[in-house]
This record gives sequence, C-alpha cells and structure tokens, in this order.
Amino acid sequence: MKRTHWWGRVYLLVVFAVMYTPIVYLMYYSFNSGGAMHDFQSFTLKWYRDVLSDDRLLMIVLNTIVIALLSAAIATILGVMGALAIYYVKQQRAKHVLLALNNVLIVSPDVIIGASFLLLFTIAGIQLGFKSVLLSHIAFSVPIVVLMVLPKLEEMSPTLIDAARDLGAGHWQVLSGVVLPFLAPSIWAGFFMALTYSLDDFAVTFFVTGNGFSTLSVEIYSRARQGISLSINALSTLLFLFTMLLVVGYYVLSQKGGRVYGIGGRK
Amino acid sequence: MNGEEIIRFERVTKEYDGMTVLDDVSFAIERGKFYTLLGPSGCGKTTILRLIAGFIEPTQGTIYFHGKPIQNVPPNKRQVNTVFQDYALFPHLDVFENVAFGLRVKKMKEADIRRKVSEALQFVNLEGYERRRIQEMSGGQRQRVAIARAIVNEPEVLLLDEPLSALDLKLRTEMQYELRELQRRLGITFIFVTHDQEEALAMSDYIFVLNKGKIQQFGTPKEIYDEPVNRFVADFIGESNILPGRMIEDFLVEFAGQRFVCVDRGFAPNEPVDVVIRPEDLELAAPEAGQIVIRVDSLLFRGVHYEICGYDENGNEWLVHSTKKAEVGEIVGLRFEPEAIHVMRAEREDGGE
Repeated sequence: MKRTHWWGRVYLLVVFAVMYTPIVYLMYYSFNSGGAMHDFQSFTLKWYRDVLSDDRLLMIVLNTIVIALLSAAIATILGVMGALAIYYVKQQRAKHVLLALNNVLIVSPDVIIGASFLLLFTIAGIQLGFKSVLLSHIAFSVPIVVLMVLPKLEEMSPTLIDAARDLGAGHWQVLSGVVLPFLAPSIWAGFFMALTYSLDDFAVTFFVTGNGFSTLSVEIYSRARQGISLSINALSTLLFLFTMLLVVGYYVLSQKGGRVYGIGGRK
Repeated sequence: MNGEEIIRFERVTKEYDGMTVLDDVSFAIERGKFYTLLGPSGCGKTTILRLIAGFIEPTQGTIYFHGKPIQNVPPNKRQVNTVFQDYALFPHLDVFENVAFGLRVKKMKEADIRRKVSEALQFVNLEGYERRRIQEMSGGQRQRVAIARAIVNEPEVLLLDEPLSALDLKLRTEMQYELRELQRRLGITFIFVTHDQEEALAMSDYIFVLNKGKIQQFGTPKEIYDEPVNRFVADFIGESNILPGRMIEDFLVEFAGQRFVCVDRGFAPNEPVDVVIRPEDLELAAPEAGQIVIRVDSLLFRGVHYEICGYDENGNEWLVHSTKKAEVGEIVGLRFEPEAIHVMRAEREDGGE
C-alpha cells in the first residue's frame, strides 16, 4: 500500500515536471540580463520594462482583453439561451442531434474553424480586424457555454418551475427568479471558460485577423518568428500568470457552487 | 354534499400519448373540507392534482372553478397552491425568501411581506428559521417550509402531492396530525394525494378511491372502510377477507358453502356477490362453536394483535386479527356478527361505480 503510494507520487511529479518545466524555463530566462535563453548572467527586470513601455504591445493587450470580455459576455448570453432552447426540445432525437452539433464545434480543430471563418468573412465581405475576430471568438465560445450550462439545467428538478408558476410567477419571472439564479454558478463557469478560450486562442485568430489588428498570442507568435527577444518571455510570463488567475477564479466559483447546491466539489 | 362548491370536474378525460390516465371523471369539491385522492401509483390521482393546478389541460371535459371554466387560465393565475412531493423549494433562496416568493411576485409591500411570512412560519412552527438555507433544513422542516410557502398566498384550495412520502414513519404520523390541525385552523380546502390508505383514513373528511383513471368510490373514511363498493376498494382499504358468494334473498347470503344471515338487501335473488369480512371482525372460538372452522396455517405477532392465517375445508383463505393466540396446525372456529358481513355486487369488467 505504502509502496504504490510512493510510486504514484513520483509518477505525478514527473508528469507535472514535464508539463511545467518549459514554462518555468521560459519564466526563468525572462529575468536574464544576458539577452538569450541560455547562460543566465544576472537578474533584471529590463524585459518587463520593455514590455510595459511598448505602446503597441499595450494596445494589443487591451485589444485582447476587450475581445475576451466582450466575446465571453456575448457568448454567455447566447450559450445560456441555447442551453435553454435545447432543454425545452421535447423530442429526444432532436435534442441529441442539437447537442452533437454543439459538441462537434468544440472538438473540431481550430485550424478548420479558422479557415472556414476566413472563407465566410471573405464571402460576406466583412473586413478582417476587430469585428471578424470578435465574431469568431463568440462563435467558438458559445458551444462551450452551452456545454457548461446544460448539465446543470438537466439536474434542475422540473417541479421547481411548476412551483414558481404555482406561486404566481409568469414566464419571465420563472426565468429570472428561479432558473437563472439556479444556473448562476454554471453560467459563471461558462463565462470564465469562454474568457480563457478567447485569451489563449491562436489558430482561429491567426486566420481571421488583419488590417494591423492583433491579439497577444498572434503577436507573440509573429515576434518569436522575427527573432528571439526576452521581452517575449516576459510577455508570456505575464500572460501565463493572468491565465492562472482566471483558472483560480473559475475554481473558486465552481467550488462555491458545489458547496451551495450540493453537487460536485469536495467536502 | 351541501356546502359551497369550489371545484367541479365534468366528464374530464386526460390522455398522454394515447394512454388514458384519467377516464371520464366527474366530481365536485366543497369549501373547507379535507379531501384525499387515494389509489395505487398510476391511478390518475396526481393527474387530477396537476389538472387543478393548471400544469396540464384536460383532453376532454371541463373543469370549473366557482362555476366558471378554467381552461386556458395559466397556473400563475389560479387561486390554488401546491405542496410538491419533492417540496420543490428554491435552493438559491433561504427559508424567508422561499416563503416570500409568491408575495414578491405579487409586488406586495416589504412590510406586509415580512408580516405575512413570519405569520406563515409561525403557523408551521418554524419561527426563528428565516435565514436558514434550505440545505440546512431536515426533511420534516423542508416540508413545513413548503407548506408555509403555499399557505402564505392564502389560496382557496391547497393541493398536497404525497407530501409525507419522503418522511420516516414517526415523523409521518406527527405530520398527519399537524396537517389535519392546520386544515381546521385555516378553514380552506385541502386536496391530499396519497397511496397510503391509513393516512387517508386518518386525515380526510372525504376520500376518493381511484384505480385505472376512474373513481371507484367516494365517501367518508368510515363509509369507504365499512362499505367498500367493490373488490378493489375492499382490498386496497385495509386488509380483508373477500369471498365469492351468492345472495339467496334479502338478509341471507351464501358463501364458503354455508348460508348466513346478513344486514344487506336489495340484490336480485341468487345474484353473484363478493363478501367482505374484515379480519378484526372475526373472533376465535372453539371448533364446535365456530360458524367457520379453519386450520391455522401461520401466525404473526403484530404487537397489538396476532395475525392468524388459515384455511377452511373448502380451501378459502381466512385472515384473522385476534388478541388471543392460536397454535400453527390447530383447528379453530371463527365467529362473527351479521353486521360484520358486507356484501358487494360481484366485480364487473370495468369495475365502475
């Protein structure tokens, strides 16, 4: 019993080491005054200063955040509506088909989604830039929100809706007074998922961006191609830490949801 | 029935996907009485409740509320409230807000809401629990919250859908008393759905016994128990000995190979009948003194009485509740009064009223 424990821990350690070493490596050299990803010379914050004094970069960061917040918010609204629509579909077959169509979008490769959006925007005559990136981010986030919200909706006892109607609530009051509050934890979870997907999306954005509009991941990619500068390391570190923050936020919310409604989560 | 009529069903039929769950049912409900819809699962009792609440519409027939048809009146506009089987309390709201839900929907003033909620909670003995979360309440407490949430809206009719089925036996008995008491104090009509015949007998003014989407019998608990109209009702309400027999003439019935004096009349001569004798109406006696002689087959001690099962010489099974003990294999006699014999018309195909 003890032995297996020991091996299990080592295995876990190795797995995490493999996954996190490159990131830690990258972070480590973001503090190197030597200007290269080897031969650590001395500690410096120069690269961070570079990043923060780079107006174009800060503009891109702002773009990225605006795109992420906007697309996540709109996708959350659409996704909740979609989940409700699927929930109220009475025919089991139609329900499964809709759900399958939803899930296909999540698992299909970003490259294909990106390429097809490029095609769509070109045909529709939408100029590539902020609008096209926003639209595509909304589009790939909606299925994620649906997938987060629908299980919670299925878990809700249908008598809750009956009870609200029984107590005099109209359709809108049932929705705003009972259904949405009940779904709140999963709606927040969906929002955060959409936010992280939007923040770190590269492939789709790469296809549909243009006219000088760029997001962080695309910018980092193009800078890395131009040559190694440790400001990229600094930027990546900041981005990683921000994503971590989001994950923690998401985790705290879902834990809270689990405690309040007695689902999932550990005690 | 002579009180003020609140609800009337006229030839109401409800079908789900071609399955008839309620079959041409008509009845009336009066103000201020405690009604029970009693029957096995799938008999249509919950369907009646949902029809009254307005969650479903009848396939055929009309439901009247104070003499006006209420088809197309949505549930939120009906003067009835429901206590659900799973209570259906809102998990994101605390006790106070759950009870206040209906009042907030009606846009009542905050001060009035506070007063009415606290009154309702007092009614169900839950004062001091206002800010508790639903998850922190026990089954019995949740049940009370559900009742408070319903009665705070001052409905004319309170519908209760098997509200006691999730509670343990002791709590269930307690809540039976409390519900009955609550109904008396409120003076409103209760329609209570259950499959538990003891619950129905203990609490109701009137009982509807339902089976297969039809009302089998309507009456007071005593009428239903003492004079079941058919085999189903006799069997469903309490334990009973049911024997096939023949009505020779008024006050004389033949069953178990013998003729007995009884108190029933109004049957055709030689009409086939079912005879019901309740096990507690049978008395153990010496074999030579018994009207029926049985050999004891099994014996169970039930606390209040012994439950004795035996067979007579014709092979009929007899169930006896007796405070006297008998031995397995012993031959004993059974005595009973003419009043203990209840004669019913033999079961027809549709089992109707």
